[in-house]
Amino acid sequence: MAEVEETLKRIQSQNGVQGIIIINSEGIPIKTTLDNASTVQYAGLIHQLVMKARSTVRDIDPQNDLTFLRIRSKKNEIMIAPDKDYFLIVIQNPSD
Amino acid sequence: TVSVAPTSSGDGLRPETGSVHSAEAEVQTLSTAVSWTQTQPHDEAQELLLQPAADRLDPPGLKAFLQRVEDTVIRELDRNGRSHAFDEFQVNWEDQSQPVSCLHCLQHPSAQERGLHVTSVSWSCTGSVIACAFGRTDDGDWITEPSCVCTWNLDRRGLNPKQADLVIDVATAVTALCCHPQQPALIAGGLYSGEVVVWDTSRTQDPVLVQTGMSADSHREPVYQVAWVPLQKAGEFGVLSACSGGRVLLWTGDLNEGRFVLNAAYALVPQQVPHSSYVSFKARGSSTVGVTSLALSPWDPDTFLVGSEGGLLLRCSFSSQTPAAVPSEGHNVTLRAPAVFVFRPRSGPVHSIHCSPFHRNLFVSAGTDGRAHLHSLLQADPLLSLRVSDSSVFQVQWSPSRPLVFAAAAAQGEVHIFDLGRRSLRPAATIEQGGADQAATCLAFNSQNSHLLALGRTNGTVCIWQLSHDLTEQSPREISQLEQIANQVAA
Repeated sequence: MAEVEETLKRIQSQNGVQGIIIINSEGIPIKTTLDNASTVQYAGLIHQLVMKARSTVRDIDPQNDLTFLRIRSKKNEIMIAPDKDYFLIVIQNPSD
Repeated sequence: TVSVAPTSSGDGLRPETGSVHSAEAEVQTLSTAVSWTQTQPHDEAQELLLQPAADRLDPPGLKAFLQRVEDTVIRELDRNGRSHAFDEFQVNWEDQSQPVSCLHCLQHPSAQERGLHVTSVSWSCTGSVIACAFGRTDDGDWITEPSCVCTWNLDRRGLNPKQADLVIDVATAVTALCCHPQQPALIAGGLYSGEVVVWDTSRTQDPVLVQTGMSADSHREPVYQVAWVPLQKAGEFGVLSACSGGRVLLWTGDLNEGRFVLNAAYALVPQQVPHSSYVSFKARGSSTVGVTSLALSPWDPDTFLVGSEGGLLLRCSFSSQTPAAVPSEGHNVTLRAPAVFVFRPRSGPVHSIHCSPFHRNLFVSAGTDGRAHLHSLLQADPLLSLRVSDSSVFQVQWSPSRPLVFAAAAAQGEVHIFDLGRRSLRPAATIEQGGADQAATCLAFNSQNSHLLALGRTNGTVCIWQLSHDLTEQSPREISQLEQIANQVAA
């Protein structure tokens, strides 16, 4: 329990990190540093997007698989580290 | 036990049922379990999920998962924070054809026939209505000419560019106009005769709500600027007016009487302009500092900026207690000298000043020297001087959505939009329409719809221009670029 919290603290302390969300394979948030409404919104939308990205990669080459997803927008960047059971979502504003 | 009751029918037939078999058996529950369900509001269900209970263990595999991904993620975050790969990268999702395009060209034929110029334009607080003041911007015998204020609602379906939605007739030329920041129906105006008026456009009969009238308190010279000033009580506003007689007056409206009451009065005289190495002002010149422009600071309610006919640029304070060195003119309120700081003076009248909505120390000013000067409140010299035109610049205004952008309207008719984020000092976009007979006298950005810019000309037309995405959408590093510019103040 403590190790999980410490890992999250380390990530949060990186430059410009605005929020961290961990969702499980069903898209349900497990841990978050944002408010509930934003967390629920991010969780649902990003879960769908990761599934789509993964199937895109595997359709192009069945031997391949998704390892990391980054979405860059005008205001910030969303980084997603996917896995079998969980997704780690980090929102960063690099110019901060 | 189980039994079956024999049925009987009404027709007298004896039912044929077989003999009933019965047997006895016993049943007893061996184990019990209790379970209940209850619907919960959607939010609550999620809340429970997200609040980790102190005694609840982490989901299985979470620690291992984080250990697997932590290093990768931190490395990417770090690299991203230091990367310059996307510094100037911008994507246009909107359709871009031209930087500026003309949407409407509004005219009031009877004003045009009388040769009236557009002296001031102001958007209503909702952003739908443009109010235009007519009068003359040159000297002459025009003061006795009646003029008008026209409004057009651009969001209305039946917009007729040649016919205003509302025309308010005014006895003399209107020299200043300002819409109320919260109540869409109220418009304040300053007249050539020195009067200050507030019109209520929701009234069908007489739109004049409050006016100064010709009292001992009012201005005697043309009022070149009016502005709504928030008063101490939230939601209440007063009107600040400035005239070429060197007076800046703050009025509060007495709605019962329909008259303005003087709340505070400031007089600017050359002897009371703060000393500086630049200003070797000879007191024997004019006895007043004719005010041609006024700007309120959105950051500091005590500060206001004043530009004069003689080229002075002053920072003033509402709370100044110094009495003004002028003979008492029978005003009910003591005249005070508000000037606190003097900036580097210009060679000719300062026509326009505007404070940046994005940085508390920055403001831009322009006048007859054809340049736009970017100043910091903290120093006398300008930070930057941009050449706008060979002729006078009548108005300059910051963009409400892009911190680095401002527009300047020039006497030769062109309007330039400058972007301080660009390396070049040339304008980012230009609205041409040549000829001195179409001088651009006033402009106003629409704060609600930041892609709209209204432009008034001496030929009596008001054009509504649409600005492209580039000129209205704030880019990520703009605020910090503006900070850098503002920090160039000499130590």
